[in-house]
Amino acid sequence: MSLRLNNLVVTHGGKVLVEAPRLDFERGQPVTIVGESGSGKSLLAHAIMGTLPPNLAARGTLSVDGLSYDLGDQSNRRRLWGRTMSLLPQEPVLALDPTMRAGEQVAEGALTFRADKRGARRAADALLSSLALGQASRAFPHTLSGGMAQRVAFAAATIGGAPILIADEPSKGLDQRVRAELAQLLLSHVNGGGILLTITHDLDLARELCGDVLVMKDAHVVEQGASGQVLARPAHPYTRRLLASEPSRWRYPWMRSPLGVAEADAGYGPAAETPGAVLVSGEGLTKSFGSQQLFSDLSIQVRAGERIALSGPSGSGKTTLGNVLLRLLPPDAGKVRHADVLKQGRLQKLYQDPALAFPPRIQLKDALGDVVHRHGLDRARLDELMGSLRLAPELLHRRPGQISGGELQRIAIIRSMLLEPALVFADEPTSRLDLITQEETMRCLMEQVDRLDCALVLVTHDDGLAAAMTDRSIQLGTACPLPDLQYTGG
Amino acid sequence: MTNTVAIHEPSPVPVRKANRPQWLADRTATQLVSAGLLAALAVFAVAGPLVWPDHALQDLSRFLEAPGPAEPLGRDHMGRSVVARLAHATQLSLVMAVLCVIAALLFGTLAGIAAAWCRGWVDSVLHGLSEVFIALPALLVVLVVSAIANGDLWTLCLGLALAQWVEYFRMVRARSGLVLAGPAVQAAGLLRLGPAHIVRRHLVPELRPLLTTMATFGVGSSILALSTLGFVGIGVRPPTPELGLMITEAFPFYHEAPWMALAPVLVLTTILIGLLGLRSKESRA
Repeated sequence: MSLRLNNLVVTHGGKVLVEAPRLDFERGQPVTIVGESGSGKSLLAHAIMGTLPPNLAARGTLSVDGLSYDLGDQSNRRRLWGRTMSLLPQEPVLALDPTMRAGEQVAEGALTFRADKRGARRAADALLSSLALGQASRAFPHTLSGGMAQRVAFAAATIGGAPILIADEPSKGLDQRVRAELAQLLLSHVNGGGILLTITHDLDLARELCGDVLVMKDAHVVEQGASGQVLARPAHPYTRRLLASEPSRWRYPWMRSPLGVAEADAGYGPAAETPGAVLVSGEGLTKSFGSQQLFSDLSIQVRAGERIALSGPSGSGKTTLGNVLLRLLPPDAGKVRHADVLKQGRLQKLYQDPALAFPPRIQLKDALGDVVHRHGLDRARLDELMGSLRLAPELLHRRPGQISGGELQRIAIIRSMLLEPALVFADEPTSRLDLITQEETMRCLMEQVDRLDCALVLVTHDDGLAAAMTDRSIQLGTACPLPDLQYTGG
Repeated sequence: MTNTVAIHEPSPVPVRKANRPQWLADRTATQLVSAGLLAALAVFAVAGPLVWPDHALQDLSRFLEAPGPAEPLGRDHMGRSVVARLAHATQLSLVMAVLCVIAALLFGTLAGIAAAWCRGWVDSVLHGLSEVFIALPALLVVLVVSAIANGDLWTLCLGLALAQWVEYFRMVRARSGLVLAGPAVQAAGLLRLGPAHIVRRHLVPELRPLLTTMATFGVGSSILALSTLGFVGIGVRPPTPELGLMITEAFPFYHEAPWMALAPVLVLTTILIGLLGLRSKESRA
């Protein structure tokens, strides 16, 4: 089994989106492609599978076991799907059919499914049991956690015995623990003699997978080599920048974590020594959804100028706790008190998906203009913030759907900073962004937080990010394990 | 399982066609033709009654006169000018239909927003009321209302509006509920932007395309409903000219004077084609 890619070019109109002269994939040697959003790494995977969108054109050849396939023809690899190569899609929760039970979906992928449905179901159940999902076979996808859905998708992708597995951003939205499990799964495929191509912007996943790493930027592979080499001693400036954008390597004046303080020269900000006034206090908070208890009898105080991380695995109730503290959601028991300084909009929230936090059909200048008018602010303040967050003023003439996620999140930061908040609640504001964009966005946020000396509550499942940005962390969901599966049938 | 590829490319900013105002550049050819048809009808409805003011003047000696230069559509079985009656009927239908739709749209939209905004008992009461109206056949509602007030024009209009407000209410309630529960409105609340901002920037832009489409269909169905009522003889009372009534009156003379029946049918068809062609794509976010 060998896989070789020759002279791949993917174009849209006249624009080159991916260009790769020659790539070899071998058994037992995982290949990981890293790079920022828009660098063409996902398209490379889809060009190999033959699942490019119809408005893109591909050239080049793919040889699988000595057989050559023209990449310009999308359909000639269709019969390889499932038996020779398979794709582990992005966001498995969306990729699984919500109307089918997990086991049945996996069984459909078995090569014997048409001839012997019963046997295929048995094979699916066996595979799911080996992934510690035996009980989930009868469950519907929406009752599964992100990690479980990822394992179901993995089972569906590998049940056909395809030796070539392409994983497209498999760790998107997964926390560290689940990501480590995922890496083990992918490595088990490699150890079984398979070929693995992983597309990711998660450098930790690339490290865990070892093997070869390709770094892509602007449609080209700028650096390639063993992961130990590339990720430890990068040669290309872009790779260096990519590595430097990991939160654990940040060095900024606004950082006050032990990490920054350890290397503190005079420039680093001091840790908050004198405790400020209490802004938000929650006592005896309890909240559950259905039979699932998220937290109980939890007491929290947020003081002025504090930076707190709410961390914990997906589904542990971080966002819910934040909404309870913001009084956007009533707790089942307990009380939340807000200090008077938080009145008049001095309590702001940043959302995971900024596109949903703006009115979709309204130009941004009107959406922000309403804030300026309503609170009688100076219009120049908005322009000044646009400048200090390194955003072009023309962006305001667009609608939220017409600018990139990173830029829109920075505009959301501007919107929340217009009112000079005393407390900002940031709900995974960068979990959908790649590392470099994350660094830029967080830098903008923290420069403003530092300038106003406002308190920050950051929800994140990335411990590195929490350590870089906050003074202390509140762990959720460690006491209670993930909820039991809810069964909807037999 | 489905495999999707997302191309991370912001949707392009619309570019104006050179030297054309935005409202014109956004329209398709179908929409322009439809608007032309409707405009021609509107001119006929406004100017027609001025040119041919006397729709009730009978001249039995000119019974079923064929179309000629003086009478473009001839005369009917009572010797009345068909074109005069048609002009008055078109005017009546258009005005009544637009009034019905405005009433239904205003009430339905306000009630829908109120239900989604206040929830609780306001929502329960309004929703229950809407279900009562759904359970009743629309024709029955119209008949009951016009029977109570002895068949005046305004009761007919009120009856039709009562039969139609429910669809606006249910659509607006469902859509507004989603919008109001979304993070964008939550953010607006944290920014203390107030209800006016939420209505103007969040609700109206979201509802407007849907309401426009529904209203164009609503005008069409009101005109049809009016003429249906006229056709079965329970709508507008003779001798007031009305499209459905004119069709009924013309039927016995179809072989002698086909233009009499075809003229109101043609007007109805033109209105409906025009309204259907006018509607724009529902969402252009």
